[in-house]
Amino acid sequence: MDKLDIPQGTLDLMILTILAREPMHGYGISQRLEQLSHGHFQVNPGSLFPSLYRLEQDGKLKGEWGASENNRKAKYYKLTASGRKQLEQHRERWDRAAFAITSVLEGA
Amino acid sequence: MTLLHRLRSVVHWIIHRSEAEQGLNDELQSFLDMSVAEKIADGMSPAEARRLANLELGGVEQVKEHVRTERHGGWLDEIGRDVRYAFRLFFKNPVFTCTVVLTLALGIGANTAIFSLIDALMLRWLPVRDPQELVQVRLQSPGANEPGGESFSYPMVRALADQRDIFSGVAGFSGTSFDVGTPGSFSRVHGALVTGGYYSTLGLNPVVGRLLTDEDDRVGAPLSAVITYGYWQREFGGSRQVAGQTIRIKGQMVTIVGVTPRGFAGANVGDVADITMAVAALPQMYPTMAPLLGSGNVWLRILARPKPDISTDEATSRLNVMWSRLADSLINPGWPPSERKKISESVFRLSDGGTGWSYLRETYRNPLYVLMGAVSLVLLIACANVATLLLARASARQKEIAVRLAIGASRARVVRQLLIESIVLSLIGAACGVLLARVLGSLLITLISTDLSSVDFDLTPNGHVLAFSAAAAIVTGILFGMAPAIQTTAVNPIVAAREDVRTTAGSRTRLLPFLVVAQVGLSLVLLAGAGLFARTLSNLQSLDAGFRTEGVLLVVLDDQRALISPPVVEELQRLPGVLSTAVSTHTPLNGWTWSEPVVPAGQPRPERDNAVVVGAGPGFFSTLQIQLIAGREFTERDRRDRAPVALVNDAYAARHFPNRSPVGQHLSTSIGENKDFEIVGMVRNAKLTGLRAAAPPTVYVAYYQLESARATTISVRATSPLARVSTAIQQTLQPKFPNTPIEVRALSTQVANTIVQERMMAMLAGGFAVLALTLACVGLYGLLAYDVSRRTREIGIRMALGAHARRVVASVVAGGIRLVAIGVLAGLPAVWIGSRSIGSLLFGVRALDAVTIAGAIVVLLAAAQLAAYLPARRASRVDPLEALRHE
Repeated sequence: MDKLDIPQGTLDLMILTILAREPMHGYGISQRLEQLSHGHFQVNPGSLFPSLYRLEQDGKLKGEWGASENNRKAKYYKLTASGRKQLEQHRERWDRAAFAITSVLEGA
Repeated sequence: MTLLHRLRSVVHWIIHRSEAEQGLNDELQSFLDMSVAEKIADGMSPAEARRLANLELGGVEQVKEHVRTERHGGWLDEIGRDVRYAFRLFFKNPVFTCTVVLTLALGIGANTAIFSLIDALMLRWLPVRDPQELVQVRLQSPGANEPGGESFSYPMVRALADQRDIFSGVAGFSGTSFDVGTPGSFSRVHGALVTGGYYSTLGLNPVVGRLLTDEDDRVGAPLSAVITYGYWQREFGGSRQVAGQTIRIKGQMVTIVGVTPRGFAGANVGDVADITMAVAALPQMYPTMAPLLGSGNVWLRILARPKPDISTDEATSRLNVMWSRLADSLINPGWPPSERKKISESVFRLSDGGTGWSYLRETYRNPLYVLMGAVSLVLLIACANVATLLLARASARQKEIAVRLAIGASRARVVRQLLIESIVLSLIGAACGVLLARVLGSLLITLISTDLSSVDFDLTPNGHVLAFSAAAAIVTGILFGMAPAIQTTAVNPIVAAREDVRTTAGSRTRLLPFLVVAQVGLSLVLLAGAGLFARTLSNLQSLDAGFRTEGVLLVVLDDQRALISPPVVEELQRLPGVLSTAVSTHTPLNGWTWSEPVVPAGQPRPERDNAVVVGAGPGFFSTLQIQLIAGREFTERDRRDRAPVALVNDAYAARHFPNRSPVGQHLSTSIGENKDFEIVGMVRNAKLTGLRAAAPPTVYVAYYQLESARATTISVRATSPLARVSTAIQQTLQPKFPNTPIEVRALSTQVANTIVQERMMAMLAGGFAVLALTLACVGLYGLLAYDVSRRTREIGIRMALGAHARRVVASVVAGGIRLVAIGVLAGLPAVWIGSRSIGSLLFGVRALDAVTIAGAIVVLLAAAQLAAYLPARRASRVDPLEALRHE
């Protein structure tokens, strides 16, 4: 199946959404993203890690080293309070935009 | 996201970089491991799983690079790498690097030196509390455009200090010097006389003891002095017991009460005041100076601190209301009514005072601006020079850059890398330049400092100066780096990488000659300027001042009471080597004058002074060799018991006795009781008051007929070495005046002292012109040498075909001279503009002096010929066979 490009500016929103459920490491996030998008999206580590680092730097995420399911050392990312607030805002904006786009497409 | 947060993460990144790098490494490794593990679990072979996982990741280094650029401060990292790369290149080309750094160090160093002087003299805040609040008080005559008078009488300062609703403090001050020590071992220490509000207005706190207050500024108060931190360290070893100790000044015991903070040396910028005393101490210290406390002497400068709640405009208008009320009581009643009226109608002006006051500003403001202009031209030349070097080197790097462009670096990225190299070079140059500026700066200070008036600045590079040099370096770096960077990257990478570099040289050679032409043009401006200043100095030195400078010693008895009796002068006359001696109230160019209203008898005396007056003793004119035109000199017989006599100079006679001899006529004056003087002689004009202006109408009166004591100098014309005579004079006189330091100086020193500014300009402009010329010649040499090496093959062919070596030399030199000629033509308009701005600093030479400009052109051509000759000779030695094999 051909993968879709991740629309500009939505990767952060999806990362935040995934991490809202539970803390997770980079590989886990990429797997979950692929799985949740039913295989339409596959995130490239060259995009994923810069996003993670930027969000961490901006204080939206907090990274902590821990052990993975099969006892490997892995860096787990956790949503901070500020990250949760950003998620809510972006989510709300995205919902409105999606509604608007759908309305336009269906109404035309 | 706040700026602070952003900054913190940049700092965090810088500090914890290696940690963060390690973390990123681990994280990517664990990502890879998990990916591999899952693929194996899905049934792939380990090798296949690893290959696929790596492929999906897309290269660890690439991901890291993406993360790095995303990080705050990531750009810092890139610049850091560019800088490291630049340094690697520099170490690989030490000769190139040293040449560039030296050129820039000279250019930036000269700029920094001049700027640090401007900064010290004009820009730097006084080290006091809130200096920006301080204002300088001036009094502007009605209808005058100038900033207004800066000097005030002591009663006026006190009256201003009383205006508590306008000022929270008012400080009056004036520089002076104190003779400290016991008879026979005096040392002259620079100092200041200040009013009681001085230290509180400036808001200074003592390091030791206390500072002077209004209590000290009362007539009859115990004599107290405050010393500077530097004097405390030098003379008292920084002992805290200094407060309460006494020093002997003029035979009087003065108590040191405190020490001012480090860095503060008085409000007179450039004149370190090591000892400061209250104005009101004057009558006790020097009884003859008591009139300085009256309203007849204006001599104090004022800095004041307006109350915080009122604006400068408000303060000014309140001050002027006060003045209309108090003017009459503050203006000296002895002054002529018209003068009194003018002063009472004057208005106060407040200007920024936070940088203190300096008499040097008036003298050196314009010269320093001119010098600043000159050194920026030098820097421009240095820039052009370095750009030439970079362009020449660029050919060597063309391939490297083409490869970098070809493998995907953007042009902007490569240009940035090249510019960073330039800026790093110029920053290194600037660092060396700052060190050089220290040396140059102290040299400058010795140039403007003389035995008679020492100038002292703290030239330790401060924030201003360092910021200036850094800015100069960055602008310079961009300036000289931009053209080469753009040109080098403006190539088709594929063509450049494949073909010989030489094919792209065509475009570069258009820029190189342009740079040389610019250097020549700018050098011409500096050479012409140096010529004008040199001629100004030599005109002043060789001008006929109407008196003879050489062979005269001046004995200055620094005591106004000392009315030297004839026997004292006669004793000096008998010393070996002494030809003649004479007393007088003034000597040529001693820095102050005495003027009075003097008219032919029978005419009404004007209110304003119209003649310079000099009290001269017997032998004055023969000692100074001022030529007597008619009548006689003063003699021993011209004493108080005889009718007063006078001599006039040519200018006075021409104005008041046109077409007739003044000898035998009478003068009506305001001098003494008699006020009637008979003219017994006429002398040639002598420039006693200044070298630049024509001699003013002057009246000489007999020294021994003067009724009041005046400052006195003995002039001594001597044959044997002046130093020996000087020692003999001191040994003879000192026992007679135990409490007065006796200073013996050469008249030539005193005269030289008045052209310090012109000498500085001549020397510095000359120095900068030589520097500019050298740089321009190096530039020309570089261009021609490059040209010859490029044309080796062509020259070889021409020589093989029988061209004579001399022809080859001539063609190369001609090429150089042609560039210089274009540069000269381009430079002429700049000379025209530049010389107009220095007109007021010149003397005896027009700003557009054809001879000077022609001279500058000749010097340039001669130097250029020399610079062109070396590459030309190399061209003539090309061996045709070698040259053809060369390719």
